[in-house]
Formats: sequence, C-alpha cells, structure tokens
Amino acid sequence: MRAAIELERVTIAVGTRRILEDVSLTLQTGELAAILGPSGSGKTTLLRAVLGFVPPTLGTVRIDGAVVSADGRILRPPEERGLAMVFQDLALWPHLTVAANLEFGLESRGLPRAVRHERIRAMLARVGLTERAGAFPSELSGGERQRVAIARALVLEPKAILLDEPLSNLDLPLRRELLALLEQLLAERRVPGLYVTHEVREAAALGERLVVLEGGRIVQQGTLDSIRAAPATPFVRAITQDLA
Amino acid sequence: MLAAAGAVLIGAALLPLLFLVAELPATGRTALSILGTGRPWVLLLRSIVLAVPVVILSLATGTPLGLLLARTNLPLRRTLWGLHLFPLFLPPFVLALGWFHILGRTGLVGTETTARAFFGPAGVVGVLWLTFTPVCTSLVALSLLAVDASLEEAARLVATPIRVASRILVPSAAPAVLLSAILVFALTISELAVPMFLRVDVFPAAVFARLGGIDYAPGEAFALALPLVPLALCLLWLERRFVGPRSFAVAGLRGMAREPIALGPWRPFAAFAAWFLVLLALAPLLVLGVRAVRGGGLFELPRWLGQAPSNSLLSAGVAAAVIATLGFVLGHAAARRLRGATTLDALSMLAFVTPAPVLGVGLIAVWNRGWTQAIYGSIAILVVGFVARYTVVALRAVSSSVLQVPRDLEDAAATAGAGAVRRLKQIVLPLNARGVLAGWLLAFVFCLRDLETAVLFYPAGREPLTVRLFTLEANGRPPVVAALALAQVALTGAVLGAGLLAFRLRRVPA
Repeated sequence: MRAAIELERVTIAVGTRRILEDVSLTLQTGELAAILGPSGSGKTTLLRAVLGFVPPTLGTVRIDGAVVSADGRILRPPEERGLAMVFQDLALWPHLTVAANLEFGLESRGLPRAVRHERIRAMLARVGLTERAGAFPSELSGGERQRVAIARALVLEPKAILLDEPLSNLDLPLRRELLALLEQLLAERRVPGLYVTHEVREAAALGERLVVLEGGRIVQQGTLDSIRAAPATPFVRAITQDLA
Repeated sequence: MLAAAGAVLIGAALLPLLFLVAELPATGRTALSILGTGRPWVLLLRSIVLAVPVVILSLATGTPLGLLLARTNLPLRRTLWGLHLFPLFLPPFVLALGWFHILGRTGLVGTETTARAFFGPAGVVGVLWLTFTPVCTSLVALSLLAVDASLEEAARLVATPIRVASRILVPSAAPAVLLSAILVFALTISELAVPMFLRVDVFPAAVFARLGGIDYAPGEAFALALPLVPLALCLLWLERRFVGPRSFAVAGLRGMAREPIALGPWRPFAAFAAWFLVLLALAPLLVLGVRAVRGGGLFELPRWLGQAPSNSLLSAGVAAAVIATLGFVLGHAAARRLRGATTLDALSMLAFVTPAPVLGVGLIAVWNRGWTQAIYGSIAILVVGFVARYTVVALRAVSSSVLQVPRDLEDAAATAGAGAVRRLKQIVLPLNARGVLAGWLLAFVFCLRDLETAVLFYPAGREPLTVRLFTLEANGRPPVVAALALAQVALTGAVLGAGLLAFRLRRVPA
C-alpha cells in the first residue's frame, strides 16, 4: 500500500541550529497519527515541511508516493499537494463569510458552482453550521470558528489533513465535544491525519499511533500501551504517567 | 499622563477649530457676502476635482507597488522602498521646481507643448501623484507585512500565489488602501505651493492671499475657511467608520516570517515598472542639482540661506520631540483602548485631515493676541502648528508598535505593583523604543517639509527653509532657487540619515 505521507531522513536546519534531525515518518492511508512533544521540539516545523512551506535541508518528503520536496528544494508548491490544514489560530479569513471561507479552496480546484455549493451545504450541515453560512468569523463563537476551520479543511476532500494543536485554546467540555466530532468526521471520510499536540490525553483519544518528538528527533513511536510499557525518555515517562 | 497629553493636544489642535467657529458671528456678514458669490465654490470644486485623479492614480500605482515591495521576490526591495519614500518627505513644491527644469519651455526636454501641459491642472496632478503615491505604497506594504502569516498559508494550500495575492492579501489591505485615499485627498486639498507655482487657482491659495498678500483681509480668510470644516469632518467620519477600528484589528497579529511570493517570468517586467516609477519621481532632484551647479546657484547659496535652515531644524526638532512624547502616551492609550483615547486619536486625525488653511486660520485666531505675542511672534507658533497637525503621525506609529507587544507584559508589571507611570517608563517605553523613534523621525521630516501650515503664520524673520524657498521662487534667479531646493533635500536627507543611524543603534530587546 502506498503511504499518504512519507518523510525520509528529513533534517531542517536554520543556520547552525537543527530544528528537525533525521526524521523518518510514514503515514498510511486512513491512519491517524498524533505527534507529541514539548514546546520547541519541532512539531510545527514538521507539519510545515510536509505542507511545503519550508524545504528540508536534507532528506525527502513524499505525498502519495511522489517526491514533493528534497534536499533543500520544494518540487511541488503547497497548493499542488492536495493537503489540508487546521491551523492553531484557525486562520479563518476575516473578510470572507463562513461559506466563502469554504468555497475559496473549491474555487481554486475549478469545481463548477453547483458542485461547490452542494459540497459546502453538506459540510456545513454535517458540522451543524447551516444557519451560520452567511456569518463572518468575527460573528462566531469559539466553538463555531473551530468547526468552520475543520469544515474548511475537509470540504476539499484532501489526501491528508494536518492539524496543529487546533483545540489548544478551548475549555475542556468544548474540547471533548470537538474531539468527538473530529474523530467521527475523519473516520467517515477515511482521511489520513497528522495531529500535533502537547496534550497526551488528546493524542491518546485521537491517534492510533503516537509519535514523540524531542529536540527535533523522533524518540519513540507506537501505540499508547507500547509506549507506556517502555518509555524511551524521562519526558515520555512523565507524560504517560499523567494518564495513569 | 493621558490627561496631560490630551490637554496639550486639545490646546494645540481643537482650540483653533473652536475659535474658528466662535469667530462666525463676528464674520457672519462677511462670510455670507463672500460665500454668496460663486467664486469660492468654484475654487473649492476645482480643488476637489484636482484631488480625485491624484487619489485614483496614487491608489492605482501604490497598491500594486506595495504588494510587490512587501510580499514578492522583486530584486532590491528595501532599496527600492527607501528611494520611493524619499520624495514624500520633501515639499511637493521642490519636485515641481525640478519638473519645471525638465518640462518648462527652457527645460531639459521642454517645448511650448510640454510647458503648456505642465502649467495647468495636468502638471499639478502629475507632480502630486508622484509625490503622494508613497503614502499608499507604504501603508499597503506595512499592512500586508502585518497580515497574520497563517491566513496567507491557509490560502497557499489551495490557491496559486497570484490568487492568494488578489483574493486574500489585497482585501486584507483594504483599510490601508482607504486610509491612503483619505490621506492623499487631505494632503492634495491642503497643497498650496504646487498649484500656485503652476498657475492653477485653488481654494487654499484664496485663503492664503487674504492672510499674506496685498488682499490682506483676515475676516474674509475666516469666512473662506468655513466650507473646509465639513469637508474635514467628512474625511474624519470616513476614517472612523471604515479604517480606524479595522486597522487596529489587523496590526499586531503574529507576523511570522514567510517566503516571498515568486513572480516567475513576470519578475523582470515588475522590476522594470517599479524602478521606472521610482526613478521618475526622483528625476527632478537630479535635474535641480545640475541646474544649481551649472548656473552657479550653489556658490550664491550661503547668501540666500540666512537663518532658514536653523529655523527649520529648531522648529521641526522641538515639535518632533513634543509630538513623540504626546504620540507615546496617546498611542499607547489608543492601542490599549484606555478611556478617552479613541476621542483623542480621532482629534489628532481630524487635525491632520483638516485642510491646512483651516488649521492655520484657527491658530491665528487663537494666538494672534496682545498677551500671546511671546508665542505668536516667535518660533514657538511653528511648534504649536506642527504639534497640532502632525501628532497623529507619531500616535499611529506608537499604537502599531504597542499592539505588537502582548498586554500581559504590562499586566504582569501591574501585578508586581508598578503604577501607570512606572509601567510606561520601564515596560512600555523600552519595548516600544523603535516605534517611538519611528514616530519621532516621521514627525521630524513631516514638520521639516511643511509649507502649507507654516506659511500662514511664520514669525517675521524666522521663516523655515520651505517658506524661504517659496517666497524666493517668484523673484529669485532660477539656479539660486534650485540650490535652495537642493538645500532642503540635503537637510531632509541628513535628518533621515541620522534617524536611521539611531535605529541601527537601538536594537530591540530579544
């Protein structure tokens, strides 16, 4: 089976500082992996390398088997990679309505208007925002904005979805509710996903596989049980102890 | 501190406008008789009609250039931006003089036809377009640099760079585009010297004639200034309604470093167009230099300069210091939305967009009294006028800077027991030193280039260089006038150079 996303020995350096070092990671179609790590461990940089915003200094990034970045060069620009992203601060375009935020990407793909509108209608209905289609982001509640960001990513039917701590600013009940919604949506569509978080509970709830990054390196990966059974570093031990 | 800063601003900027309105009963009959004739209204309409194409041309060229400078891989972007900005810091009259030596009958490429076209509305529009376009370019570019990087990246995932630019970036800069339109309109309406030099009769010239010329009639000047008050209020309403709150919302979000948009095969064409526009605006300065050297104007310069450069530096320097102080206190208050700050911000903007003749006439009404001659008869009146007109420049520079700094840092100081003054001094000032410095430098060069406000009330024998240049133009030898214009350019260049050096020395704390 061809991997949805594959990083092969990726190193990213800024000057003499190595932000990612020799990272190899494969995400299979339909798989959801959670990337865990302390602040500054390189989690967001890893996502940006997959998206094509930063080239790997060394190593290769493949999407659906095709090489998209390699050894300091971006071979396929972000808009041609077929990925979607839910940003930490959501990045909803403030001058566009909810529907227009969803339509922007569909328009870029050249879909006919009727198809676009049908997909937007179905997606908004699925996330419970049909009534808010004409609202601007500033008129929405925190939870509604979060749903728009998720809907905007999924309406594109991407090859994979990347999520950069999208629930970090929410209170616990709302976070649980959205986590459940996200889990359902990804399962329904069988979209592979990389979910970045520093919350081990969130990672455990969503990720079939946990990948732990520390100091720019992958220090351990596997299921929650396997990691908990043999933690590779004090950081891994500390975060898995929290779950006990 | 906010109350003290507010009181100074009200004294400098609001009092003149209130006094102008208070003069209404005294000048009522004169006002009626003057405004009852068609002449002032024709002049006002002409001023507005001239301002419209200047605004349209400035937006049409400044918006794409701002996008190119802020977000693309255009070569030598910083150099280009610096050169493009420079003419804005000069009195437009200096550039008009340069163009006269290019397009006038005896100019470099001058013929009867070019001279006829230059001495008329087309010449006024052309000169002011090239001078004021950097307002739009810079506001758009700064606005685009402040757009949250993730908004752009979210679009880059699904759209080409061109589409991201047109659908996400340019709409994000819409408040900046509108603000540019308002500022360029206000600057054009206030412009006195360029239309007078190019023999186009406009409204500010009519007001000026009644205050400084053989038609001396201050009562009539008050009357003539009145129609400009609603115009200023209209501009302020537009700024408050469509720009003010939105510009605060855009600035301050995280401006993560990002890759410039690749222009691809369009890069050489874009570079050619950008350099052509920039060099076109700078060409008159080069020609002024040639004219001053060839005609021996530079040798005669010391005799004609007199005290004008030191008057300029003293008045602009003192005013810039006052403006930077006011801008720091008011800009911080506006960014943090402290009580009353929004009103003071609006007042400072009103004073800037109010056509200069209105403010000038109002300042005369307030200060030209027996017991205030110590101020009105000295360079202090120039300082008061500059503070009234240009406080908004430093205020906005500081407020943009404060918005980039998390409020938590000030709150942490407050919880540690620091009072408001100590927080301003030990937390806000060090963290925003570059913003304050930028406000000071901008205020300095704006005061240095001012002619339209100062020419109405400069004290006898203490005229700044801009006024000396303007008054000598009619009778002076062209090479001498060209040399005086070059002196103004050199003075501005020196102040900018010193300011930029101070910037380099003042590093932001990590």
